[in-house]
Formats: sequence, C-alpha cells, structure tokens
Amino acid sequence: MAPCTGFDTDQIKDKARKDLLYLLEGVRGKKILVIERELGDSLRLFVKYSTLLEYGVTKTFFLENGDADVSQQNVVFIARGECAKHAQSIADHIKRMQRETQTGHEFSIFWVPRRTLVSEKILEDAGVLGDTSVAEFPLYFMPLEKDLLSLGLEDSFADLYLRKDPTPIFIMARALMLIQQKHGLFPRVTGKGDNGKKLADLLARMRQELTAGEDSTESTKLGLTPSNNMESLIVIDREVDFATPLLTQLTYEGLIDEVVGISNNRAMVDTSIVGAATQAPVGTSRGSVSSASTQEKKRQIELDSSDKLYPQLRDTNFAIVGPLLNKVARRLKDNYDQFSNRQTNQTVAEMRGFVDNYPSYQAEQKSLKVHTGLAEEIMKHTRTDQFTSLLEIQQNLAAGADPASQHDPIEELIAREAPLTEVLRVLCLESCISGGIKPRELATFKRNILQAYGYQHILTLDALEKLQLLLSRTSPMATMIPISSTVATTATKTNYTYLRKALRLIVDEVNEQDPNDIAYVYSGYAPLSIRLVQCILQKQYLTSITRGGGANSGAAGTGGASQGWRGFEEVIKHVRGQTFDEVQKGEDKAVKARALLTGSGEKKTVFVVFLGGITFTEIAALRFIAKKEEARKQIIICTTSIVSGPRIMDVAIEKGTLGKNTAPAV
Amino acid sequence: MANPTADWEQVGDKFYRKIQLYTAVFDQDLELENYIVTGCSYGGAVALHRDESKLHSFRGTQASKSSIDLYSCAGKLIRRINWEKGSIKGLGWSEDEKLIVITADGTVRCYYDLQGEFTQFSLGNGAEEYGVKECRFYGTGFVALLTNNHLISVSRYEEPRPKLLATPPEGDVYSWTLIPPAYTLSRSVEVLLSISNTIYVVDEIDSEDRLLDIGPFTHISVSPNGKFVALYTESGKAYVITSDFQTRYSEHDSRSKISPKDVQWCGNDAVVIAWEDEVHVIGPKNAAARYFYDGRVHLIADHDGVRLITNDVCDFLQKVPEVTDEVFRFGTESSASILLDAVEQLENQSPKADDNIQLIRPSLVEAVDTCVKAAGHEFNIHWQKQLLKAASFGKSVLDIYNSDDFVDMCEVLRVLNAVRFYEIGIPLSYEQFIRLTPENLVRRLINRREYLLALRISTYLRLPTDRIYVHWASQKVRVGTEDEDTICRLIVSKLEGKRGISFEEIARAAYDEGRGRLATELLNHEPRAGKQVPLLLSMEEDEIALDKAIESGDSDLIFFVLLHLKKKLPLASFFRVINTRPTATALIESSAQNEDSELLKDLYYQDDRRLDGANIFIRESLRQPDPQSTLDKLALATKLISDTKELSFQQKNIQETSSLLKHQELLDSDLTESFTGLSLHQTIFKLIKSGYASRAKKLSSDFKVPDKITWWIRLRAQVSARSWSDLEDLSKTRKSPIGWQPFFALILSAGNPKLASIFVPKCAGEVEPQQIIEMYEKCGMRVKAAEEAVRIKDVETVDRLRAAAGVGTVEGMEIERLGAGLRR
Repeated sequence: MAPCTGFDTDQIKDKARKDLLYLLEGVRGKKILVIERELGDSLRLFVKYSTLLEYGVTKTFFLENGDADVSQQNVVFIARGECAKHAQSIADHIKRMQRETQTGHEFSIFWVPRRTLVSEKILEDAGVLGDTSVAEFPLYFMPLEKDLLSLGLEDSFADLYLRKDPTPIFIMARALMLIQQKHGLFPRVTGKGDNGKKLADLLARMRQELTAGEDSTESTKLGLTPSNNMESLIVIDREVDFATPLLTQLTYEGLIDEVVGISNNRAMVDTSIVGAATQAPVGTSRGSVSSASTQEKKRQIELDSSDKLYPQLRDTNFAIVGPLLNKVARRLKDNYDQFSNRQTNQTVAEMRGFVDNYPSYQAEQKSLKVHTGLAEEIMKHTRTDQFTSLLEIQQNLAAGADPASQHDPIEELIAREAPLTEVLRVLCLESCISGGIKPRELATFKRNILQAYGYQHILTLDALEKLQLLLSRTSPMATMIPISSTVATTATKTNYTYLRKALRLIVDEVNEQDPNDIAYVYSGYAPLSIRLVQCILQKQYLTSITRGGGANSGAAGTGGASQGWRGFEEVIKHVRGQTFDEVQKGEDKAVKARALLTGSGEKKTVFVVFLGGITFTEIAALRFIAKKEEARKQIIICTTSIVSGPRIMDVAIEKGTLGKNTAPAV
Repeated sequence: MANPTADWEQVGDKFYRKIQLYTAVFDQDLELENYIVTGCSYGGAVALHRDESKLHSFRGTQASKSSIDLYSCAGKLIRRINWEKGSIKGLGWSEDEKLIVITADGTVRCYYDLQGEFTQFSLGNGAEEYGVKECRFYGTGFVALLTNNHLISVSRYEEPRPKLLATPPEGDVYSWTLIPPAYTLSRSVEVLLSISNTIYVVDEIDSEDRLLDIGPFTHISVSPNGKFVALYTESGKAYVITSDFQTRYSEHDSRSKISPKDVQWCGNDAVVIAWEDEVHVIGPKNAAARYFYDGRVHLIADHDGVRLITNDVCDFLQKVPEVTDEVFRFGTESSASILLDAVEQLENQSPKADDNIQLIRPSLVEAVDTCVKAAGHEFNIHWQKQLLKAASFGKSVLDIYNSDDFVDMCEVLRVLNAVRFYEIGIPLSYEQFIRLTPENLVRRLINRREYLLALRISTYLRLPTDRIYVHWASQKVRVGTEDEDTICRLIVSKLEGKRGISFEEIARAAYDEGRGRLATELLNHEPRAGKQVPLLLSMEEDEIALDKAIESGDSDLIFFVLLHLKKKLPLASFFRVINTRPTATALIESSAQNEDSELLKDLYYQDDRRLDGANIFIRESLRQPDPQSTLDKLALATKLISDTKELSFQQKNIQETSSLLKHQELLDSDLTESFTGLSLHQTIFKLIKSGYASRAKKLSSDFKVPDKITWWIRLRAQVSARSWSDLEDLSKTRKSPIGWQPFFALILSAGNPKLASIFVPKCAGEVEPQQIIEMYEKCGMRVKAAEEAVRIKDVETVDRLRAAAGVGTVEGMEIERLGAGLRR
C-alpha cells in the first residue's frame, strides 16, 4: 500500500472510471449500452461519452424507456442491483430482444454496486439468467466535487423515512468500509440519530466480519488499523433535523436547486434565460441519450468547479450574487478596455499577455452571461409576493414566533392555490419546529388542502404523517424532548425551542457580505444539523457564541483532537435519536506500523456523513466551516443524495388524480 | 554419486535431460495402452479411464465397472470415481486441479476437490442433438467439438457460460487443438482445426482458412507459450511454425509409417513425438534424440517439460536449465562449476579448494548465484546439497553478499522435496512451483487431505492457514465417528482464536452429512451473520435465518429470506413471522406497494391497520378507468374504517371524495365542460369562471368551504374571467372576510387600474395611509394620491407627486392646487 497523504476524491473518480472501462473491455466488439436513467446521468461525472465510444459503445439507451434497439450483437445493461424493478425490466428487455432477432445476442449485466440475490432470482424466474453474463460494477460514491461524495441514491429519503428500508444505510456502510480498507479505520465515529447509530453498528459489524473473514497475511491487516490522516467520522441522520431542509435555501446554489433543480451537477435551464449553447456545448453532450425534443428549448448547464465563476458564487447568499456578478462584469470590461485603449502604445509583451489570457477571459465572459441570466431568473422568482410571504412565514417559524400567528397567511396561500409543495412545506416546518400542530387547526388545514388540491392528497397527508413531518400535537410522536430531562418521557422529537437558544440557531446580525457564521446561508438561521457538526469540530467557537454572546469573537479556535460530543452532552440530549461516540482502536503494533508508513499528516481529514440527504445550503455551511478550519482539517462530505424541500415534499405528494386523467397539473 | 550429466541427451546444440521421478508407478496388470490418461499440469494428479473403444481382457464383473481413477504421479490411488453417466468424450484438468468430464450428450461435470465432489452443467447449443466428439482443455476452460463440427467454448467453471464459436466448414476434422485465450491477440480462445489439406482458425467471431497445402495433419500441438504450432502429417513429417502461420521454423521427417500416439511440446523449444514405446525429441534444425521404453508411453505436457508415464516409471523430460548446464556441462570451465569442484576438494581436505576460489574470485558472486539457482532446478537431493554447500562456501568467502535468495531457495527446496516424496507424489520442478505459487500448492495438498503437510508448509512459508483448518474440520464432521458433542468440542478447541475461519462452511458440511444439530452448534461460532443465512434456510431454521439476515443489515439478504418464506409458508404464518420484525415488515410493505397490493391488504387486515388498508383502496381508486369503479373502491375504503371512531376524520374525507366525484359527474353531464379530476376549489373556480355562480355557491355550501376561501376563489375566478361588472358589484358589499387589498392587487395585475382604484378607499381600514398613496399611484391616479397625502399632511410626497406628474400638466396643476392648501 502506497503511503497516501490526505484523502483525495479523485481516487474514487479514477477507480470508478477504471472499473467501468475494464468491464466494458471484457465485452468484445461493438456494443449497445442500456442504462438506468439515474445512473446514466451520473456516469458523466467520471467518464466522458467519447471514451465510451472508444470502448466500442455505439449507442446508449435508458432502461426505463424500453426502446433499446438490436443493432449490435452485444448488449450491456447497467443497473442498480438493489432494485428489483430494474431486474424485471432487464428481463423484459432481454426477452424482447431475443424475440425480435434470431441472431444470438450476448447480454452482459453490470450490477451497481453489487449483484444481489434478489435481482438474480428475478432473472432466473424470468428464465434469462443463463443467457447473461453478470458482473459487478462497484460504484458506490460518486464524486460530485472535490469535497463532496454522493451515493446518488435519489430515493434514499423515501427509503429511510417513509418506507423504513435500510438499504441506503447498508450501501453507505459498504462505501465507508471501502474507504476504511484503503485508508485505515476512522479513529472515532461520532454521530446523532437512530439511522446513524445503525450505520455505526453496521460499520463495527463489518469490521468484525472483515477481521473474521480475513486471512492473517500482513498486507490486509494494515487496512484495519486506525488511520493516521483521518480524524473522525461524523454521522448525522437527516431525521434529527427535518426543519432545515424545509426552509427555503438562500444560497445561490441552493436557490438554483429550488427553482430549476440540479441533478448531478447539472441544471436544465430554458435557453431563453441563459442563451442557446454556443458552438462547443458545455461539458460533454451525451448524444443519443438526451431526448431531442427537450434539447431544443432547454440547455444543460454544468454547475461545478470547472466553471470560472460558479465556485465563487455557489455558496454565497443570494443577496450578494448580484453585486458579485456586477463586479466581475466590470473587471472584465476593464480588461478589454485596457487593451483597446492602449492599443497604440502597447509593447509586444503586453499584447501577448493579453492574448494568452484571452481564452480564459472568454470563458469567464461566457460563464458570466449564463449566471447573470440564471440569477435574473431566480430574482424574478424571489420577488414574487408568494415567495416573500412564504419566506416570511418560514423565518418567523424558525425564529420561534407563535405558530398560530402564521396560520392566516398559510390559509391565504391555500386559498390562492399556491403550489402544494410550498404550502405543505411550511406546514411541515411548523409541525417540526413546534412539536406538531394543534389538532383542530391541523384538521382544518388538512380539509382545506384536500378541497383545494384534490382528495387524492389523503395519501399525501398520510405519507407526511408516516414521515413524521406533519403531526398533530396530540400525537405521541410529535412531542418534543422536554427541557428538563429528569422525567422519563416517550417524547422523541428534536426540541427546537430549547436548541434555538442553546446552540444559537438564530443569529440576527448576520453579515451576508462577509459571513461570520454559518447562519448566513439561511439569512439568520443556522442549520441545526451543521451546528451539531460544529459541536464536534468547533467547540470553542460554539461555546463563545452561545455563552459569551458576541458572534464576532471571530477566529474560531478548536480543541486539538476531536473529542466527540464533549461539552455538549446536555445539549444534544434534546435532539432526536440516539447519540453515539465510538473510538476504533487497533493493535498497537499495527498502529505503529501505519504511523511509520504514512507519517502523521499535519492535516487530518474529517468525514461528515449525512444519511438521508444533505441540502446545498448545508454543504455551503460545511464548506464555510472547512474554510475556517483549513489549516488543520479537511472536510469531506458524504451523503446518500442531495435533498431539498421540494424533493422531500415530492416523496410524499401523490401524483395520481381522481377520476379521469384530464385534470391540469396542480 | 553418478554424474548428473549421465542422463543428458544432446538435441542440436542444447541438452535435454530425462529425470526419473518415480518407479513402479502402476500395477503391472493395468493395461495402460487401453486407458485414456490425462494429467494435470504442475505435477498434478493423473486421471485414468478405460478407453471403451478398445478391447480389453475380461477380469470378472467387478473390474468391468466403469470408473475414473485418480492417481498421483507416483501411482498412488487418490480416489476412484465410479462412472455411470455414459460414454466420456472429454477428460481433462483445469489448472487448479479440477477434473473435467464431458459426456457425449454435452453434460459437463467438474470434480473440484479430487474427492468426488462435483458440480454439473450442460453445454447446450446443440450438444445434445449432435453429440460431443472430442474436447481440448486449457488452464481455465475447454472447447468441445461436436459431431457436426460446431465448437462450444467454456471459459470458466464458476458460473460457466457455454458459448458457440464461429462455425467452421464441413468436413472431417483430422486433428485439432486450441490456443488458450491468454496467448491470442483477440484474448478469446482460438481453435485450430485440420480439415482437408489446410488448417482453419476459429474464434468467437469467424473461422479463417490458413491456406496450407501440406495437410492433412494427424496431430497439432501448440507450444506452452502459444507462439508455435507443431504439425504432424500423415506422411510422417513434422513441421514447426509460428502460431500466426507466418513463418515456418523447421521440418522433420520421422520416416515412420506408423502414426504416432501423441505429439506434445517439451517446453517451448522441442517437440516430443511418442509412438507406442518410443519417444523422439525433435529440436530446432531437425536435431533429434530418441528414448525407448518397455511399454506404452503416455505424455503429459507441462510448462517446462513433459512427463512420460509408463507402467514402470514416471519420467520428466525437460531441456536442461541454463544454470544447470553451466554448472554440470561436460568440460565446462564456468566459475560455478569450479566453485562446485572447490567444495569437493574441501571435503577431501585438499588445498586445491582455495586455489579454485582464488581462480574465480572476480566472478564469485555470479558463481554463488548460479549454484543457488542450479540447486533449485536439481531433483537429486545429493546434488541439491552439494550445490548449496558450494554456494554457502562461496558466500563465506565474500565480504558482502545478499543471502536472501539463498535462504529462499533453501526453504523452497525443503518444500519441493517434501511434496516430491513418493507418498505425496507431486513432482514439481522449481519453475512449476514458482508458476503454481505456494498458495495453490497448499490448496492441492488440502485436496489430497494432506492436512499436516499443508499446515507445516503454510506455517513454514508464512501463508494463511484458515483454509486448511476449515477443510480439515469439514472432513472431520463428514467422516468423524465420534459423537456430535465431541466433534464440536474438538473442532472448536482446535480452531478457536484462528483468524478467518469460516464456521459456516464447516456447518454446511455437517448439515450436508445429515448432522443437523452439529451444524447448528457450529454455526453459532460463525461471526458473520450474513454467511449463516443460506445454510439456516436450507436447514429450515427460517426465523433464525431471518433474524440473522436482519442483523447483517443487508437488505438484499433480508429480502431474499422473505421471498423464500413467502413462498414456503401459508400467508397467515408468514405474517406472524414478519409481524414482530419491523424491518421485515417495512421491506415487504415497500416491495408490495408496487407489485402486490393484495398481499398488502391481507397484511394490514391481519395487523388491524385499518387506515393503511383504506389507503390502498384509495390508491387503487386513483387508477380506475371510470368514475363508477372509482366510487366502488372508495366505498370499500370507507367500509374498512367505518367502525373505528378515531378515524372519523379520515372517513369524512373519503365520503367527501365520493360526493365530489358524484357532483362532478353530474356537472359533466349537465354542462358542456368537463369537471371530473379537478379538486373542489378548482371545480368551484371553473364554475364561477364559466358563469355558473349559483351552482358554485351550492357546492361550496355543501362542502362547507370556509367563507374566506370562497371569497378568494370567487375573486380569482372573476378576475380571470374578467367579469368586471361582478367585481364592481362586490365592491358595494360592506365587508369582505379577506379584506379588500387582494381585490385591489389582483384586479390591478389583471390590467384594470380603474376598477382597482375603486377598492383603494375600502382598504383604508387595513393599511397605512402611506400605502394608500402608493396604491393610487400604481393605478396611475396621482391626484387621488396627492389628496391622500394632503390628508395626512405629507408635504414631501405631494411635491414628489407633482414633480412626477410634470409641472405644466393638468394633473400637475391639480396637485399644485391641492398642495397649496397644505403649505399654508
């Protein structure tokens, strides 16, 4: 094992690419690729379409469309093994293809990230297993950014909280296990939430099993000793803080996600907003994959760190995106002016300097145009009455205003048929923050919603109740953990009222221009989930702002080594779910061996895992912390998927309508 | 001691040596000529099967029973496998010593452990109709030739996928062979077929004629490195060409009228042709050497030589390794040979020893290295010792010498000598050992149940020992005669604290042997929950299996168990099993949601989860094609929850749903427009917009829509219908439950500032005067705004308004006039 300093997500990217290409190489000759839509979209994160062509892929189809043709003898399926649905549709595909052509096809299936008994059973029952060659494509984490890894399980929120299906936890555990095997154990596993606890238990179990299954050779032993360059693993279960994603995200990236939606670093935006794609398409176009009809009007925009401006903009509060863009525009203009004004008396060297930089100016110009358009579009959205009214309600609720005072505006929203997503979002927010809604009022709201948006939403409301997002105050599940924890109660919900003070969730004097606290991402509300991370990583800072008062005590100092929850034990008792803090030890000898091999890196890596999804604003907040701690730590964010308020609501909202399907979309 | 060069034979400018490995190999009664003999590479086991096409003497009914006999190279019977499956068309080995048996009907058996345990699969692809004619094997797979000249390739034995290769032309196949995938350009297996005068090369994609005219060939053989092909024609000529058929290397005329029994490569340099009892070694440039035997000789090609097997002896024929050649060659003056001589002198206590050392002083390091290597290639223990002694002596003279190679070689030689011992009978050469790897050697020993030796070697070479223990224990539970408790105690005490022990495997062996209780007990020692599950399932310990699956956290495993249980148990007991396990229930629920709502209904019914049950009906109602069936489904939902008091709210909602549907149906038939599918609000909205105000009113009162909301809907509907007069009428109402601001805002944004302005004064109670001014301004009525400003004595605003209106205009003057009053 080569000594590796620090953790680099590029390794994951490289491995994913190599794995895929190796598998493709194994299928001789030209082949068509039939891929699950979700995966197909994320493939581009680590492999270029042109590379696939080099490896003999002539055409790509989406599994869901069921329209793959039979032009090549070799057919390669790529799908998630965990999902029985895909296995069935692969079986259907194979049967159809076999029917359509007489020539024997060679079918290969690459299961992501592993082959499963169930999927294979389905293929077997369908009678096609014998005709396929099956391989595993161990794609766990998808590198979205240098500091951001996602499992890309879009359904993970629904799986975990609505259907109580633990698959995402298992996959996360496997993914983390792979990291541990390569880089050593996380010396400390700290976290909050029931699912988080499950993850930690699973990790411990997997470690044990690995030791049991492992032979006693030296080479593998090293993988299971605590790492030297990783500091800890912090696990946050989405469940501990449902309120945060329900609030409207106010960073640039967050708002793009809310308004147009981002998937795998890419947003589909109307060409009328950002202009048509000029000559070279941005990023890699996936040719036959994207359906032609939408391509005319929509344009894909890559939103990642390869863009010139986006990295500076993405995590800022939207309020200052405009001024920032202005500044850039002015700077660019100056550059041009400088050049054109002094044209007469320029030295060759100066000219050359400009010409050398020209492509970069041009790229910047292009990106400026895109982002100005995008920002304007979002601005249009944020200026509407509805948006302001929603934001006001949300902010009031977050700040602890009497929920009853917000009911009139909510009712008005319903009466005006504001989007159901938004209405439910504020109601759920109220339920989460204030421990349920009063039964009578809840009943009224429910009735109003059913009457306004259709009775099919009986199912929606039921789903929300199952998610424990929308509860009556009388429901035992809704009760918050009381402040005086002496009395044994069954109350389980995060007590925002207590935490608002204890962790200073509301910061009034927030400076959006030059942020001094993570609260800037929600213009005054500091996401609880991230505050919890701070409890571990920035103890001194947090203590200073919660007890000392002034948020501007600035330069956040931290205790050297991570000490788990120390100092905040009392506080986190008021957060839903189990708390855990485990130290993973290894044999002394092995630890020393590792220390010798890798050297003790100055900068340690902290993994922050969000089970059930993370929002872009939380990512921004974590990056803000990472920036403060830059000298000592590197923060890697791992998540099952990216979530947002609309996506959470989408899980619950029933899509079908009663009666004939003639109803316009609500 | 005899000179090691005694059994050397010159072939061209190279020497070949024949090493006698074992004597008295087979019983003299065994008529080797009537047997098919195939051996596994790396000195592995030899399989014998009586060639049914040949006559053989009758030895009573007992002996005539068909069998496959597995022998070690030393002739020790490892296992006799009785064979009743019919005629064997292919008998071969994989490189990990699996015996592969292919019958005429395309059934393939893979005996994976030398002890008769096997897996079986079928070739398919027409093998059954046409029948298998012959098979050729390589390291990880084989190719079968059918009687219709079709070729089927199997490239691995775990999850085999028999694949049809391209179709070669019709015609008699005189002989054929294959090039393993590892050595071909295409990385798939290539088959060489001798048909008429030429050779066809067939791979997955196509079959290509190599356009030769010297055939037909009775034998084709490919060299171990896949680079050369030896061809033997009917006329007794042998050719060596490159495997791409571009270059012909040599041609040899054996001048024999009799067709040889076998043609094989000896390493990559020479071809061995075997007749009944005569063996020729043909080297480059037509050089040849001959060996004669007493009986029929069988050839077993290995990577670096050929094993020759007769009833009496097992010989190994190989090119003399270069280092050995350097040390022993007659008349050589290499430094290594001088070093070897020095040791002899030393033993004779002759001072010449030192002279020798001084002589080779400058090249002593190489001499030592050569001696070490030569020791490795030596089969004779005396000469091994002698060479190592020489190396050790040379080493002692040197100031600095890295002894790693020396130490390693000593270790390897110990191992090699141990396994070459006739009771073990694995005559590995050094090169074969390196290729085979120590791990695989240990595996082979395990398969021979030489546990002690395997364990010693593993510890000696610092290799993992878990496999040995597990295999030993599995064997123990299979054949151990002690009672179960003793066996369990014995195994656990032996294996406790050892890493990587799979108790699951041992337990499975116990279970397969019918020792269920022992299996359960052993399984308790297995730390990996997931591993236990399949066995528990086959042991019918269903609930434990489910618990273990849940414990493992692997949802796939849980689901697998659940599917199994669902199929096996009656529904009621299935539900009872999952009821107490929330994770299991959740998984069943989420999977059934999409596929099997009937199951879900039963589940909820049994669980008394009325509301969930009702929701299924509602979900189903959404998918109904016509209103009537939708209503039916809703009725079912209502029925389900009707007698539960806590659910009265839900019940009412469902009733409303049905009643709305009925209303809408009525509306659909009464009016020209379609209403079904809309929500209540949308329905009311549409009614108002289309001018059916009274119907709308009735509907909203029927459904008790709150006043505020009704107003809102009416407002929005009227604005969107642009029914300004109705709105104007409304303005005459005294009070509005939603205030008047919405009226103003909506009407204004609908583009009717005039009407909007009517509502401005009505808003006065609700908002600040400042806002009233703004509202007027928005309507473009500056004068009114100014009036308001004057009322609240806001001079600034008046000035601003005047400026905005323009000084000279009518409006401006009017404002001027109003403002004048204020200034006074």
